Amino acid sequence: MTSLFGTKYFGFIVSAYGITTVVLLLMVAWILLVHRSRKKQLARLEEAGIKRASRSNG
Amino acid sequence: MSIDAVKRPSGLTALANPTRFLALVKVLLPYLWTATLILLGLALWMGFSVPDDYQQGRTVRIMFVHVPSVWMAMGAYMVMVSGALGVLVWRHPLADVAARAAAPLGAAFTFLGLATGSIWGRPMWGTWWVWDARLTSFLVLFIIYLGLMALWNSVEEPAKSARMAAVAVLVGALNIPIIRFSVEWFTTLHQGPSVVRAGGPSLAPHFLYPLLIMGLAFLFLFITLHLMAMRNEIMRRQIRTAQRKAARSHQSGGQKTSKSTSETST
Repeated sequence: MTSLFGTKYFGFIVSAYGITTVVLLLMVAWILLVHRSRKKQLARLEEAGIKRASRSNG
Repeated sequence: MSIDAVKRPSGLTALANPTRFLALVKVLLPYLWTATLILLGLALWMGFSVPDDYQQGRTVRIMFVHVPSVWMAMGAYMVMVSGALGVLVWRHPLADVAARAAAPLGAAFTFLGLATGSIWGRPMWGTWWVWDARLTSFLVLFIIYLGLMALWNSVEEPAKSARMAAVAVLVGALNIPIIRFSVEWFTTLHQGPSVVRAGGPSLAPHFLYPLLIMGLAFLFLFITLHLMAMRNEIMRRQIRTAQRKAARSHQSGGQKTSKSTSETST
């Protein structure tokens, strides 16, 4: 593997890969956090006796 | 043909049932994540193993994140176009869910395309940004994504918001061929197509293969995140329906109480 350290454009290459990693990780984290919060909300509603249509039918 | 066979939905119709769709997503996600991570690892290893380009030197490696981001930015928009057609033509219940879930992902990939392109442009072109046709039309795509997300969030009534957004998505789709052909129709600082072009790719195979593998990795990542985002959107709608149901039963309960109170008093 060619070494990148100390090369002229090292900062540009690291920035491009860095920003891609950060944005993709933020996207994954956001989706997971939203999922967790909605799961909790649905559980609370079911605890309160409000069942979803698909569950109350079955 | 038996009545059962007629009634039992299949294919896309079967997936119109959110519960069935959520069960399928649950099964698919571990496989999709595994495939995505393997492909990402392979693409990164291949990308950092390539020799330097004779003109661009080591910065050619930025291509392996820039180009797949751009592909996904435009791909996400095409998913939204299919969703919009699903809303307006077939009225498929998951069509609006699919379109709406693709918007933030498309916006994120468009942002990455703009950011990595700018970072690549500085050492290669000597500038971070230029108002040429390709860069400008791609920035317009980002603005379209933000506008559509705002539109979906601003209209409360789901069916109305779905129809309005579907029409807006189809109007915004005019920008996709402009982005694609801008480098051929106008004089731009951005280079012409080098992968999908008449006569085959102009890239050397040792750059082309890592790029295609990274493109595949990004595609799998997009599919995985899109299914997860669709699951979130379905849950949001389930919560909304349940809350409305609760509010209605609370209201009717209140009415019954006041009615019985007035009957007692007379």
